[in-house]
Amino acid sequence: MWPRAVVIAAALATGVCACSPAAEPGSVVRVEQGADGGWRLIRDGRPFVVHGVGGTAALDMLAACGGNALRTWDAASALAEVDGRSLIERAHDRGLAVTVGLWLGHERHGFRYDDDAMLARQRATVAEDVRRLRDFPGLLCWGLGNEMEGPTGRGDSAAVWAEVGRLAKTVKSLDPHHPVMTVVANVNPAKVRAIRDHAPAIDILGVNAYSGAAGIGDALRRMGWTKPYCITEYGLPGPWEAEETTWNAPLEPTSRRKAATYNVTTTDILSDTRQCLGAYAFLWGSKQEATASWFGMLLPTGEKTITVDAVTQAWTGRWPANRAPVLGTTDVPLAGRRVTGDTAFTVTASYRDPEGDELSYAWEVRRENVDRKEGGDAEAEPELIDECVLESDDKGMARICTPTEPGPYRLFVTVRDGHGSGCIDNWPFFVDR
Amino acid sequence: MIGSFSDCRGVCSRSACVVALASCLLVALTTCAQDFGDHTSATLTGKAWKALADGPAEHVLAYTGKCRELYLAEAVKQQKSLTDFAPTDKAHDAWALNDVGTCLFIEGQVHEKAGQTAAAIEAYRTLADELKFSQCWDPKGWFWRPAEAAAGRIKQLEFDAKLD
Repeated sequence: MWPRAVVIAAALATGVCACSPAAEPGSVVRVEQGADGGWRLIRDGRPFVVHGVGGTAALDMLAACGGNALRTWDAASALAEVDGRSLIERAHDRGLAVTVGLWLGHERHGFRYDDDAMLARQRATVAEDVRRLRDFPGLLCWGLGNEMEGPTGRGDSAAVWAEVGRLAKTVKSLDPHHPVMTVVANVNPAKVRAIRDHAPAIDILGVNAYSGAAGIGDALRRMGWTKPYCITEYGLPGPWEAEETTWNAPLEPTSRRKAATYNVTTTDILSDTRQCLGAYAFLWGSKQEATASWFGMLLPTGEKTITVDAVTQAWTGRWPANRAPVLGTTDVPLAGRRVTGDTAFTVTASYRDPEGDELSYAWEVRRENVDRKEGGDAEAEPELIDECVLESDDKGMARICTPTEPGPYRLFVTVRDGHGSGCIDNWPFFVDR
Repeated sequence: MIGSFSDCRGVCSRSACVVALASCLLVALTTCAQDFGDHTSATLTGKAWKALADGPAEHVLAYTGKCRELYLAEAVKQQKSLTDFAPTDKAHDAWALNDVGTCLFIEGQVHEKAGQTAAAIEAYRTLADELKFSQCWDPKGWFWRPAEAAAGRIKQLEFDAKLD
């Protein structure tokens, strides 16, 4: 494969494409600037505002909640099959459009933008992915890379952005019917200038932003970005932005606060109808990142959480038919504290179900995450500590015995309504000798 | 209007009357015991941030109240002299505006922590409406805008109220 890839890349580099653009595209999407200067995404002739999510789970639920789009981070995810149908087909079946990620290497993972052989392989892979996916009617646009400029720092490497610019031209030559978006980790003036100068073929700037996501439009305008943009990841302030305990455990917002953040951020982002093409809430699924529940809009067992209800309300103006449990009062004496080991505490977290469904409560204690990564890289699941939950009831009360081994831990409660909705909250604590 | 802790009418005329009155009394009692350092707005704001992180609410309110008491008039004057956010290299010129604005944000935060939603919204609304060009330096290397953050918190608290 390697020599063939280089041959294809060489052909692309010389402008001789290994294949021609699709004759009959499955969909036609373009960005259009109106007479008033405002930007719109036009999909098959109709304006399209992205009410999207990042993630590939629970497509039926997404459609039912009023979502119309999702994004992947790589092409393989868009082609992943269930019952013989790829994700992009299954999404289209449900009226959902897909921004297909074309993964680009990260220097922190060992990729080098000054290594010709690596670049050639990457160019070949991108071209191949475009050819495989360009004719699917579910395709909305291309997501060329994701935070490949690095999650921290200025992100203005000329080598990175010149390569992104070159790849954008390649993608457009292979598929002139869908816009090309590149996705960055937040923005700063140097980064925006570098993209503008070195990658002018980019149609849309995708920005992953957590704290301050709603202010990205104003920030981009101050930085001189005149093309459209999309918020490609948003949600809670990240663990890297959160308050911490004295032992540096990030304090995760409560489920209730998460709901308010998702709702208001969604509404605020979408209020920029002049330059913003829409937004993707993060994460439609569940993931270990700092904690097992920080970013996940769904429980690991698939139930939707209150964050889904909050985004649904922002998208549609209505609550879903079956809402998730709402956190009421809490009394968790060990929360954020240093405590002695092998000591029993009574804790309470009461939830209310809007439909009056009977709720089940599952409590657990885990070690604090010691495998923290940056940029969303995979983290190991913290160890579950057995036998810490002495008893619990169906009203939100539990008796917890702290672990005997000193160190940082986190108490979780997962609440389910038995009808596809749930909630999860957690509290860090530290066991001293 | 912007009420100070020696003049709580701006708060007490609304539904937060009882909570605000209690806060004022508490602060009045606590104020005598607080160390205000050199009484500069920067010192008071720094102490308020620290107290927000690890001190009792009344200490936070004592520092923010003193900052408002001493520097509110200058903050309002500086706000009126601006038509937009000051550029980064001039942002520190609006020192009173920045510090009083930040103190109002801190007040909102401490009221939120105490579950006093009405008082929090009152502080945030005052900031958002009347000191909107205040800026706060983040040690990570940039200015952020307390009034915009306050406006966001108001919306979130109003959404939160719909959950009950």
